[in-house]
Amino acid sequence: MLNRNPRQRVFLCDIWYSKIAMEEELINIKNTALSFILEAQDRKSLEETKLQFLGRSGKLTLALKQLPKLPIEKRAAVGELANEIKRTIEEALAEKLSQVTSDSTTKRKESIDRTVPTVEPRIGHIHPISQVLSQTIEIFKSLGFQVADGPEIESDHYNFEVLNIPKYHPSRDTQQTLFLDSTGTSYSPGEMLLRTQTSNMQGRIMEKTKPPFRVLVPGKVFRYEQVDASHGFEFWQVEGFMVDKNVSMSHLFGTLDYFFKQFFGQSTKVKFVCHNFPFVEPGVEAYISCVVCRGKGCSFCKRTGWVEILGAGMIHPNVLKAVGINPNEWSGFAFGTGLSRMATLKFEMDDLRLLTTPDLRILEQF
Amino acid sequence: MLVPLSLLKDYVKITLPESKLSEKLTEAGLGVENIEEKEGEKILDLEVTPNRPDWLSVVGVAREIASLENLKVALPKVSEIKKPAKILPLKIKTDYRINPRFTGIIISNVNVEDSPQWLKERLIKIGMRPINNIVDITNFVMYELGNPLHAFDYDKIEGHQMSVGLSMEGESFESVDAVTYHLPKGAVVIRDSKKIIDLCGIKGGKNSGIYSGTKNVFIRVPVEVPNLIRKTSAKLGLRSDASSIFEKGVDAGNTVFALKRCVGLILKIAGGAVASEIYDLKEDRFEFWRLKVAVEKLNKIIGTEIPQKQTLGILESLNLSPKITKEGIECKIPTYRNDLKIEEDLIEEVARLYGYNKIEKKMPAGQIPVRRIEYFKDYSTMQKAKEILVAAGFSEIKSYSLVSEVELDKFGLNSKAVLRVDNPVSREFEYLRPTLKIGLAKGLAENKKFTSDINLFELGKTYRKKDKKATEEYFLACLSSNLSFAQLKGIIQKLFSEFGIKNDTSSFIEVLGEALFFEINFSEIETKANTQKIYKPIPKYPPIIEDLSIEVSKNFKTGDIIEHIKKQSPLIYDVSLIDEFENSKTFHIVYQDREKNLTRADVSKIREEIIKALKNKFLATSN
Repeated sequence: MLNRNPRQRVFLCDIWYSKIAMEEELINIKNTALSFILEAQDRKSLEETKLQFLGRSGKLTLALKQLPKLPIEKRAAVGELANEIKRTIEEALAEKLSQVTSDSTTKRKESIDRTVPTVEPRIGHIHPISQVLSQTIEIFKSLGFQVADGPEIESDHYNFEVLNIPKYHPSRDTQQTLFLDSTGTSYSPGEMLLRTQTSNMQGRIMEKTKPPFRVLVPGKVFRYEQVDASHGFEFWQVEGFMVDKNVSMSHLFGTLDYFFKQFFGQSTKVKFVCHNFPFVEPGVEAYISCVVCRGKGCSFCKRTGWVEILGAGMIHPNVLKAVGINPNEWSGFAFGTGLSRMATLKFEMDDLRLLTTPDLRILEQF
Repeated sequence: MLVPLSLLKDYVKITLPESKLSEKLTEAGLGVENIEEKEGEKILDLEVTPNRPDWLSVVGVAREIASLENLKVALPKVSEIKKPAKILPLKIKTDYRINPRFTGIIISNVNVEDSPQWLKERLIKIGMRPINNIVDITNFVMYELGNPLHAFDYDKIEGHQMSVGLSMEGESFESVDAVTYHLPKGAVVIRDSKKIIDLCGIKGGKNSGIYSGTKNVFIRVPVEVPNLIRKTSAKLGLRSDASSIFEKGVDAGNTVFALKRCVGLILKIAGGAVASEIYDLKEDRFEFWRLKVAVEKLNKIIGTEIPQKQTLGILESLNLSPKITKEGIECKIPTYRNDLKIEEDLIEEVARLYGYNKIEKKMPAGQIPVRRIEYFKDYSTMQKAKEILVAAGFSEIKSYSLVSEVELDKFGLNSKAVLRVDNPVSREFEYLRPTLKIGLAKGLAENKKFTSDINLFELGKTYRKKDKKATEEYFLACLSSNLSFAQLKGIIQKLFSEFGIKNDTSSFIEVLGEALFFEINFSEIETKANTQKIYKPIPKYPPIIEDLSIEVSKNFKTGDIIEHIKKQSPLIYDVSLIDEFENSKTFHIVYQDREKNLTRADVSKIREEIIKALKNKFLATSN
């Protein structure tokens, strides 16, 4: 009857229609296939077996092609049997294949030389300033701040006047300005400048947005300044401000303390000192414990244990009035800091100029 | 502002160690930048903010320490000026709009010589150069009290008359340090009967200065108009210790006291006798003013309730004489506190002396505002673009917006059409870049020295003149030293498809030295971007995939051939070029029917259509 010994297997399919009932032949095919599968040792012989039985001119396929030649009443039962056999063979193939694969995985594991030099994936790097900005945006977004963007070529009006810094105000000295050459433009000389601070967006946004609001504005700023390790004529700032009923210094300090701890780590200490900026009153300057020595005192922080990081304060009533917000009804705070400074502090870089050097040996560290 | 500790101790008791003292001063707003040690002397280097010109004097600094430590300031003792025995004549004419107060006196028969050692030493310690006793005394009193004084040689005031007025454009003036200036229109000056003898509030004139032969002197202690001083000083690029006090606002109530102090020192050191009454020409009374702060507002702005007793104590320590009234606390502001003008200024005084770091830290309360702000920007578009480029192996650079004419030239850009800065820091940084190419080309040059694998990008602003206005737009630019044209074009394609932009990708790439470069207007992408993803069911039926090789002349563009193949049947799902050799091209064609199983017969019909179409249009032969 059925021969289970593969060495003496008999192929009868070619002559099945004359001598043997079709059911028997199908069972014979199944058993032969199963014995081949049992015997197979690798993926290749399994694939051959699959082709031999289930392929386009495989034995089972050819057998099925004879189906129409059967008497009608027998077709359904034989058809069902054939399909069942097909499923059985497919399942056996799949099971054996996973067994063979896992054997070869084991072999592969054993043959790995774990000391070979690594080949890293070829991915690029986001600039440290962008990384610092993304992190800042993320933290302030979680506090309900919306992010805005505005012009770098700005009018004297928004960069200074609205911010309670009229012409000839002594504090203009602390922000030496680069002016746009008005030749060939419709501007008058001295009208347009390269913004010295992202605070230019305070007026622009506040005069068109009804309070309450919470805003974050990052961007590039320009100063007439000679370049050295801690100064540049171009650098990046981020400005934040909020206006609501009853906003207080407590809220400003709470917000900044939260931000610094999120940004520089929970152990960061924050201290606030009084400072004067014309567009805030009271005015504030924030320091954090030195990132290098953790407050012990080192050359980075000039042995003080603290580094200056940000200017802030309660928005000056003159600024609120200038943008049409009633200072008796609303109050707000504002702060501004250098993204470039944040980046150099975070990554312990000793020179601002590193940030604008397009050297991959620097960029690839971030 | 340099203040030797030993000098400070003459005016206020100092009990704190200097490190603690500088911490306290800094917290209160008078930043101690450094404590220098010079010849055994500790000198405070103070950062004085423009709102506090009173801190530009040693008495002002002493007052701050006294407020912090609840101490009293020891002002220098001055005596009343005696009736002059003999009066020298002098006529003074002034205009209160340009010179609100003019205080002065004549002293006759002084001996002009070197200052005594103690005075010289003090001046050197505070960074001033001793000149002669009269000049040194005026400088020292300015440093001590914060009122600039100027000494004139009385005998050189021609006609014995002084008249304060405004300069005319181009008038010439030689300063005491022998520099000639051509004055702008509107500088405040003093003229005698013939000439300009003083550039008020900035520099004295050489023609009326104090030299060894001077016998009689006139001392002037003025109040100047801050804006006028600042305008002239800015136009001339000339600043002095005096101008930096006047432009911020001098203590207008203290001119007579400063004069008396100066006279006392002159009589003691240089001898002589008073030879006039005190001139004090003014319209205003220059007295204290009243300012109120509502307790409710104080607590609201600070956010922490400070006990009223403590608030009053703080205001008292600042000599503000607080008094409780119905509308709040009323203060009398001394004339040296020009910075205290509005309620918020008093709130700052209370907060800074209470100690900023004692104020409770709270998170903002209330609802998060949901209304969209003006100038809102969704940074996630930029973020997404950067992520794609980084994944493709590109590193981000940040370069300067300001570039040089030489760099513009190098890329064939006409500097006349480019926005320019009027007062550049240097010629290297003069023009606002109209392209990101310059920065990336620098990146290429910089990195070429040590690697051949250079893939850089920048996302930043470029600037242009448009319709006589300045415009700025974000651009995204990439540079690659080792990707093929097709690969770089693939990156543009990837960016466009991510943002739902339908645009031809082939026109952006250009050759830049040994690298390929492209830049695209990112502001435009941001306005058009559609990142909404909508799920399409995966095909139920398997595709049929074939490779088709043809021989075709190189004159025909691959992109056109692919487009033409796609046109032949809607069942052609995708076509790509997988191989190319001389005139032969092999295309990978995916046939897919979403409705049913494709048969070989279906596909062979389409294939024949394709071959026919390619033969007709591109004279291609299939092999």
